[in-house]
Amino acid sequence: MGLGLLASKAVRPASRILHSPNPRNFLLRTIVSKPELKKPEGAAAQTQPEPPPVDLPPRTPVAGARVHFDNPDDAIEVFVDGYPVKIPKGMTVLQACEVAGVDIPRFCYHSRLSIAGNCRMCLVEVEKSPKPVASCAMPALPGMKIKTDTPVAKKAREGVMEFLLMNHPLDCPICDQGGECDLQDQSMAFGSDRGRFTEMKRSVVDKNLGPLVKTVMTRCIQCTRCVRFATEVAGVQDLGMLGRGSGEEIGTYVEKLMTSELSGNVIDICPVGALTSKPFAFKARNWELKGTESIDVTDAVGSNIRIDSRGPEVMRIVPRLNEDINEEWISDKTRFCYDGLKRQRLNDPMIRGRDGRFKAVSWRDALAVVAEIAHQTKPEEIVGISGRLSDTESMMALKDFLNRMGSDNVWCEGIGVNTNADLRSGYIMNTSIAGLEKADVFLLVGTQPRVEAAMVNARIRKTVKATQAKVGYIGPPTDFNYDHQHLGADPQTLLDIAEGRHPFSKTISNAKNPCIIVGGGVLERKDKDAILATIETIAKNGKVVRPDWNGLNMLLLHAAQTAALDLGLVPRSEKSLESAKFVYLMGADDVNLEQIPNDAFVVYQGHHGDKSVYRANVILPAAAFSEKEGTYENTEGCVQQTLPAVPTVGDARDDWKIIRALSEVAGMRLPYDTISAIRARIKTVAPNLVHMDEREPAIFSSLPKPDITEKVSKTPFGIAVENFYMTDAITRASKIMAQCSAALLKK
Amino acid sequence: MAWRGNISKYLKELRFLMCQTSPASSTARAFVEKNYKELKTLNPKLPILIRECSGTEPQLWARYDMGVEKGIKLEGLTEEQISKALQDLVKAGESLKR
Ligand code: SF4
Ligand code: FES
Repeated sequence: MGLGLLASKAVRPASRILHSPNPRNFLLRTIVSKPELKKPEGAAAQTQPEPPPVDLPPRTPVAGARVHFDNPDDAIEVFVDGYPVKIPKGMTVLQACEVAGVDIPRFCYHSRLSIAGNCRMCLVEVEKSPKPVASCAMPALPGMKIKTDTPVAKKAREGVMEFLLMNHPLDCPICDQGGECDLQDQSMAFGSDRGRFTEMKRSVVDKNLGPLVKTVMTRCIQCTRCVRFATEVAGVQDLGMLGRGSGEEIGTYVEKLMTSELSGNVIDICPVGALTSKPFAFKARNWELKGTESIDVTDAVGSNIRIDSRGPEVMRIVPRLNEDINEEWISDKTRFCYDGLKRQRLNDPMIRGRDGRFKAVSWRDALAVVAEIAHQTKPEEIVGISGRLSDTESMMALKDFLNRMGSDNVWCEGIGVNTNADLRSGYIMNTSIAGLEKADVFLLVGTQPRVEAAMVNARIRKTVKATQAKVGYIGPPTDFNYDHQHLGADPQTLLDIAEGRHPFSKTISNAKNPCIIVGGGVLERKDKDAILATIETIAKNGKVVRPDWNGLNMLLLHAAQTAALDLGLVPRSEKSLESAKFVYLMGADDVNLEQIPNDAFVVYQGHHGDKSVYRANVILPAAAFSEKEGTYENTEGCVQQTLPAVPTVGDARDDWKIIRALSEVAGMRLPYDTISAIRARIKTVAPNLVHMDEREPAIFSSLPKPDITEKVSKTPFGIAVENFYMTDAITRASKIMAQCSAALLKK
Repeated sequence: MAWRGNISKYLKELRFLMCQTSPASSTARAFVEKNYKELKTLNPKLPILIRECSGTEPQLWARYDMGVEKGIKLEGLTEEQISKALQDLVKAGESLKR
């Protein structure tokens, strides 16, 4: 396992990824044992000789920890094991040690959560302090001499470890955390070699946290990370600490499920096996898994993930650190949709016979039939639609192919007729996801970020929590997990703000960094141009777009959308689908199938037997995101790629290769045979799409645009995502997602 | 400049590629800034895709019927010359149609 994991980690350049202390890095620590350690009582009593002052080798900070000085005057100097480091005022002793390259063992401390200081694992010795101090909760003071390697510190850790293990069950062989457990690793490194505890261990009743998180509460060490995560990051008050002393328990106060779209993250932050993944329970050991660094496609955020697979099967999905996008969290949909990859898959090319049944055929036959019918159709009656999960390469190929056939009717789902895709600033998140943290006023227009883009919502929540930023919301009533003001439900409110009649327009113009987020659902409205123009007026009046700040954002809904707009896959007329005779659906499952005329020939190319298959005449099986190398651009314009983690199913092929083959059979050979050749082609359309792991900012935000004459309609804003857990072919095929929608969605 | 209203007659799509900051792209940026509104008003249905990306040479691409494309490098051209280049692309489209 080890080599596979390392090799896959080396594949991806880590340019955008800032490393920060990762609690799972404990394996790196070396285990030191000296004779005097064996009898700590004696060693602690000894007087310590001064540490050698000179010739200390320079150390590298733990996991690339960096120091950022807001104000150079605030720098203080402390000594960690005699090695001097400069740190900003206000850092804790533990952080200072990290900068100095010393990794302090810990359970309750987590860099993204508040400090609890209740596990005591992080004890270190500080000169002139009578007893060891909890480094995570102690601010570093100028000139402090911190010692992490002394017998006192070691003895303290060993003692804490012994207390923690007292009530921890010895069930590592049947525990899913085994192999990636902080308690296991740290007891190996710092614990005693034998136990002295012979009494009965306490036991705790397991709690029901819903279909995603499995609990074995006897294993809990009361670090309260999960409680702090739920209240601070996820914004739900469901988890808490009950009882005192040995009766202390973590639980939901009343018999209640944890209703958060981020609940799966407690599995990662729980340092022991108390909270583990229910769908993954007893499925695999972590050292059997091969990790592949990839990108999530279930929403437009592009969360960084690692796909853990064993053989041809995706076993689980876990987050990867990316400070600019998902930090270290992912949504439950991202984490648990993977069982959908094993169900309802299309594995053979198929043609529907006269009796209405599908018959498996060879690729050659299927492509020949499709090519022939395409040739018999008039160019303007050919339509191609790409789906929510389509990668950039295949959308480029589809567009080129249809253009060569003489058709201009090629678009991506979720993009309204004649959407203006001219300027990138018009449809990306200009502020960038990380940039949202600088905003002090948010205006959300027709978007429900909690269900549309859970990670963006987490950012907004983080900002609101840290700086008390104000949030105004226009749209149907919906769930927020932070304070907000519901301004209205229809575009009229928008007009009021634009014309200064609404008190919120004052709030925007008084703000330092105002931020407007328009939902991607607006693109499907008939009056979208008028709405966008109104929003631009608000932006202009409120100075939302300045040279130093661009707060005008669109939050798109699907993984394919940004790249589709970049490539210009926009429907040109409302009638084209109704008059189509040949419809090519590339993973498009959410088109209105009623609109396709009965005599039209429908080709469905995709990986799941979802809605569109029922209407298809020919099925061409394609690869899912876990099986191919594909480029995706997220809603802020950051381009990332998926990598194949598992082999394709049956006879399926990569999407772009299918279209390339079809073009050859149809006698219009597309001029690319390799993925790099198709990327060279993309470079002549939207060069930003080949800058992997980069975010190309858009200029021209305030370019003069043609005047809009149409008026905004009175229709209230709609809900773009009805069911958070089921938004595309993969999540609709997933059993876990179905359980979640049944158990967790409020009726 | 009557030809400007005819762009959508002969062209299916127009693409400007340029860098956000480089001096080589400065005239292309200025051209877009000054002419986008006029071009779009005259050709409301024509996609004029403006794609910025760091380190890109300024280019102008036109897509005609049947997926035929023509591109011109704009490096070193003045704004008038860019306008001329655009006109040439439209003319090329006119001759393709015939
Ligand atoms: S369940 Fe896990 S995260 Fe929560 S308090 Fe217990 S050990 Fe800590
Ligand atoms: S990490 Fe410091 S007390 Fe838990």
